[in-house]
Amino acid sequence: MIPKVDLRRTYLIARRDFLGYIKTWGFWLSFLMPFLFGGFGILLSQMSLNVEPVRYETILDETNLYAQAILDSERQKTNERMERAEKLEERIPMLANQGQSLAKSKVNFVEPPAPDLDGLMPYLKGEKLLSIGEKGSRLNGAVHIYDDNGELKLDYWSSNITNSDAINVVEKYFSTKASDDYLASGNLTADGLKAAKKNAPSVDAFDPTKSTVEGEGDQSVSDLDIIPFVVAIMASGILWLTIFSGAYMLLTSMLEEKLNKLLEMMLSTTRLSEIMLGKLIGVAALTIAAMSPYILLSFAGAAFIAVQGGPETTEVIRDAFSLKLLVFFPVFLVLGYVFYGALFIAMGSLAESMQDAQTLTTPIMLLLTGCIMVVPIAIKSPDSPILTFAAWFPLSAPFAAIARLPLDPPWWELSLSAFFLFLMSVGVIWLAGRIFNYGVLSGSGVKGIMEALKRVVFRRGTAG
Amino acid sequence: MQTGSNSTRSFMTATPLSLKNISKSFAGVDAVKDVSFDVQPGEIIGFLGPNGAGKTTTIRMALGLIKPNSGEVTLFGQRPGPHAFGRIAFLPEERGLYKKQTARETIAHMARLNGMKAKEAFPLADRLLDKYGLSEAKRKKNKDMSKGMAQKVQLLAAIAHDPEFYILDEPFSGLDPVNQQILEKMVREIADRGRTIIFSTHVMEHAERLCDRIILMSGGRKVFDGSTELALTQAPKRLVIDSEDARLKDVLTPFAATLEDRPDGALTVFLKPEAESHTILEKCVNMGVKLSRYEPKNPSLHEAFVALVGRDEVAKMKEDAT
Repeated sequence: MIPKVDLRRTYLIARRDFLGYIKTWGFWLSFLMPFLFGGFGILLSQMSLNVEPVRYETILDETNLYAQAILDSERQKTNERMERAEKLEERIPMLANQGQSLAKSKVNFVEPPAPDLDGLMPYLKGEKLLSIGEKGSRLNGAVHIYDDNGELKLDYWSSNITNSDAINVVEKYFSTKASDDYLASGNLTADGLKAAKKNAPSVDAFDPTKSTVEGEGDQSVSDLDIIPFVVAIMASGILWLTIFSGAYMLLTSMLEEKLNKLLEMMLSTTRLSEIMLGKLIGVAALTIAAMSPYILLSFAGAAFIAVQGGPETTEVIRDAFSLKLLVFFPVFLVLGYVFYGALFIAMGSLAESMQDAQTLTTPIMLLLTGCIMVVPIAIKSPDSPILTFAAWFPLSAPFAAIARLPLDPPWWELSLSAFFLFLMSVGVIWLAGRIFNYGVLSGSGVKGIMEALKRVVFRRGTAG
Repeated sequence: MQTGSNSTRSFMTATPLSLKNISKSFAGVDAVKDVSFDVQPGEIIGFLGPNGAGKTTTIRMALGLIKPNSGEVTLFGQRPGPHAFGRIAFLPEERGLYKKQTARETIAHMARLNGMKAKEAFPLADRLLDKYGLSEAKRKKNKDMSKGMAQKVQLLAAIAHDPEFYILDEPFSGLDPVNQQILEKMVREIADRGRTIIFSTHVMEHAERLCDRIILMSGGRKVFDGSTELALTQAPKRLVIDSEDARLKDVLTPFAATLEDRPDGALTVFLKPEAESHTILEKCVNMGVKLSRYEPKNPSLHEAFVALVGRDEVAKMKEDAT
């Protein structure tokens, strides 16, 4: 049975809901977000803050058979991409220069700065720089091609073990070569083609920064070497989730007390600062309690893998839970929570309804979401300039600094980043305290923020 | 409100509350204008006025929740602040509780915020709930209680620590007549223990029955401040009178400020300030006007307020009360 619907009443309800939300600040912020992000992207491109830094690779070919062929093949592919991009740009003028810049090869091959692998090692460890640019540039990796008792060997040496662009270029070349050679042989079968591709030489990765001391394993890179990155990214994710859920709980708790006027009753017996601090601590304890199963399970899982995986795995896991992670995870957790929590309390104190709260917190939500978006970059490019910038920028520092830990940034860098966040948190607590004071007792809504800012920041009095 | 045997204390220290020429405006609109009064220890004060009269704003300024634009507020001799924590019971006008807390948790939580220890606060909460007929609500969540029950729980939470000074903003509003009576009894008990009470209300009967002193607000200004007796003297004397003799109106005219026809045919006479009802009776007897009804009426607070603030304001107050 179809229920009867009065269109006029339905229209009136729809109209009120639509107009009710369309007038809010949050709606317009979300509506304009694509343009804002577009503008932010342009700003970043102007600041030369690329997600992927320019990486220089070299090929040390002892066989003298493949290096030039690999470079020619890559150049040809790049040219093909550039041609397609050029045509696209002609059709869509808005993409001028963008398409070609994206089509450029991600790998910049340079001449080997040393004639042998031993000579390359200082470059690969960052002890020596290539003579490129004013200050010189670091050599990201080297592909070593050599003959080992009649077998062609391909080794890739780089400390940047999560970036595999150069490996992909070389493996793609040898895979294509294997299929071309097979197709040229004339004796063709589908299985034969598959086998030819499968038997194409693959690249083994080595980390020049790994210890070569006897008994501590070799310098080859395995899946285990990815564990510290996974741990760091998971820690960063847990941190974000904790801060996000904690801040949201603070908002709803604040809103409940504001709406049911319990706050007024409490204020006759408690200082505003005590209420604010009490809320921060209470919800922090709740959030940590809620997140503790995840944290405990992560530790238990890591311990289980360490025990089951043998001494090498144990060592990698022990390294993943480094002292820096154990120190800075709680530091950034507390500072990040205080920073965002104080903002959410202030916004909650200004809200008079859930709709108000949504409107007021949208910008902070967007900030938080934007901040977590830098973390995936750490998977492929932990040395990305954006990630480095994010690790210093107080709003994203908690997540980005933790995600960068596998790169082993120096203690002073992490401490300074935490210190900036601390300073910013102190400022935010001060500002949030003032807004809280004003919001609880007088103002509400977006207009309330403006009034509070006038009173707090500019010390300008308003009626009331 | 502590119910122990030693609960009767004497708090004859500093003046609990003193307001001097306080004013407050919101967005250019005056909410309170130049209001001054002192609350002396042990007084029960009714703070009356219609909605928008400035009562709640004055109370919030008295507690230091908002700052006046001008004037001075002192609580126990100092500016409102932490020194007064635990010495005041405040019940705000708008009601609310933590939905997921039980009644005893709510009362104990507020008592503890006011300085009581947990081992005292929970038994106290139980005693209060038993005393005021809320035994079955002890472990009930606030969200599962009726509005009246929740309101009583909030009141008990506000006053559990039995401080020196009670500030109750519209404590009677929303309560049914039975619970209003219970609350009246509660206020009397508090007063009997020597506590100071100021409560705002729309219902003049409560003020008339409970208060030593009345402060009347209208349009943000204080229009009356004095004893209930003094307030009653502000009302014109009233007489209900009836006769079949057409000369009655001629007799009454020199004494009457206004004459109103009643639905039952009689007349209500609001006497001029200098007139007395027995003089009218004497004149009727002398002129041979036979009276079928002669009822001098005691003035009510309602009439006093009509005289003080005008009929429209009082009508608004009655509307607010209902």
